[in-house]
This record gives sequence, C-alpha cells and structure tokens, in this order.
Amino acid sequence: MISLTSYAFVSMILFSIGVIGVIARRNIFVIYMSIELMLNGINLFLITFARYHFNMDPQIITVMVISIAAAEAAIFLSVIILLFRSKKSLDTDIFTTLTQGERS
Amino acid sequence: MMSNIIFLALSFFAIAGGVAMLVYRSPMYSALGLLISILSVAGLFALLNATFLFMVQLIVYAGAIMTLILFILMFLNIKDEHLPKEPKKFALIGLGAAIMVPFNIVILKAVSNLPDADMKIVESSFGDIKPIGKLLYNDWIISFELISILLLIALVGSIVLAKRKKVNKEDA
Repeated sequence: MISLTSYAFVSMILFSIGVIGVIARRNIFVIYMSIELMLNGINLFLITFARYHFNMDPQIITVMVISIAAAEAAIFLSVIILLFRSKKSLDTDIFTTLTQGERS
Repeated sequence: MMSNIIFLALSFFAIAGGVAMLVYRSPMYSALGLLISILSVAGLFALLNATFLFMVQLIVYAGAIMTLILFILMFLNIKDEHLPKEPKKFALIGLGAAIMVPFNIVILKAVSNLPDADMKIVESSFGDIKPIGKLLYNDWIISFELISILLLIALVGSIVLAKRKKVNKEDA
C-alpha cells in the first residue's frame, strides 16, 4: 500500500536533487532547471498533504506556485538571453562581473 | 495493486529524470531529463486525486515552460565551447548529497510519525475543476488578483529586458 511517507520520500528526493543541482553545477540553464525541479518537489509535497487531509487549499497554493514559476521562467530566460549575448558563455562564474567592458 | 505499480514506475522515472538532468553536460539532455521528471510528477498528481492540477502541470509545465526552455536552447545555438568546464562536478554532487541527507532524514522522520491514512484514489469531486474554481474565487480571491498583477509585471519586465539593447544602441 502506498503510504504518506512514500510520497513524501519522492518529493524530498526531487527537492534535494534541485538543491544539489544549484550547488554543484555551473551551467546557468541547469541551475534554472534545478530551481524548477525544486518547485516540482514542493508541489508534490503540497498535493500529498491535500489528499492526506482531504482539503483542497494546498491545491490552490500549488496553482499559485505554478503561475509564479511561469512568470519566473519568462524573466529568467530573457535575462539568460541578455547575458549570453554579452558574454558568449553559460558559465555562472563569468556572470559575477556584470560590467559590459569586454563586449565585442 | 495496480496503483502501487504505477506509483513505483512514476516515482522511478521522476527521480531518474532528475538525476539525468543533474549529470548530463549538454543542456539539451538536461532539459529532456527535466521533461521526463515533470511528466512523471504530473502522473503522481493524478494518483493523488488532483485531476485539475494534473492538467495544469501538463499544460503549463510540460507545455509552456519546457517549450520556452527548449526554444531558447535552440535559439541561442549553444556550442561546446560555450559550456562551462566542470572538473569537480561529481565531488560537488557528493558534497551536496551529504548536506541534504540529514535534512531529508529529519523531514521523513517527522512525516512518518503522522497517523497513517488511506491514500487510494476515491470517487468524488475532490480536485475537480469546479470545486477548485469555487474555492479560488471565494476564499483565495486576493491572492488570485495579486498573481494576475505579478504576471502583468513579468510581461512588462520581459519586454523591457528584451528591448533594452536596441535603446542602448540608439543612444550610442
């Protein structure tokens, strides 16, 4: 039988993979996707507890989280396009200096 | 019995997709791993009686956001020399795992102390679009309006970010 703990286990694993991706990777696209995976893990946690308490308020919160993720995607990806055009790289270490000095 | 097998398969694919996103060097493979993970999480939503959220996850995440990511990955024409060199990647992944394991143990211990409940799929209107809409427009109306303002700000912000370069060129 599927218990509450197994759903919580899956969602915590997804969240942890997201945190590890933010810590370990230097590709800015992978960091963005790790943030999305963290949001997914938290959504799964919320939906699990919505089913557990038979209450629909966490599902509303999940709708909010998904719409915030959509807004974040638009802003983040346009910032990535700007950074990639000016620096020609996806390395996060280059982005620590935000001056436009060496632009070609 | 059937839902156990479906749960195991979906959670395996969710975790495997996340791990694939973590270890592949090319962002295109990472995006495909994330897509698998998101689709599996949508299936888990369906197992938890959240039918409306299942559709929203498929349409917004797997449809809109992943399409945006893949479109921009192809649009930027990323070559191998643009990717960062990550010589210590696996050591850092191990370090991150070592940081996250105690945190996970604490949360799982707290969750496993809760009284067990039956998580089967039930025949009711729980999670359908009609009760969710009623709840959203009655109890959560202020958050709903704030979210609409946030989406408007995001729209304006992305247009400003996309146009700024042209304005700079005209000034110079």
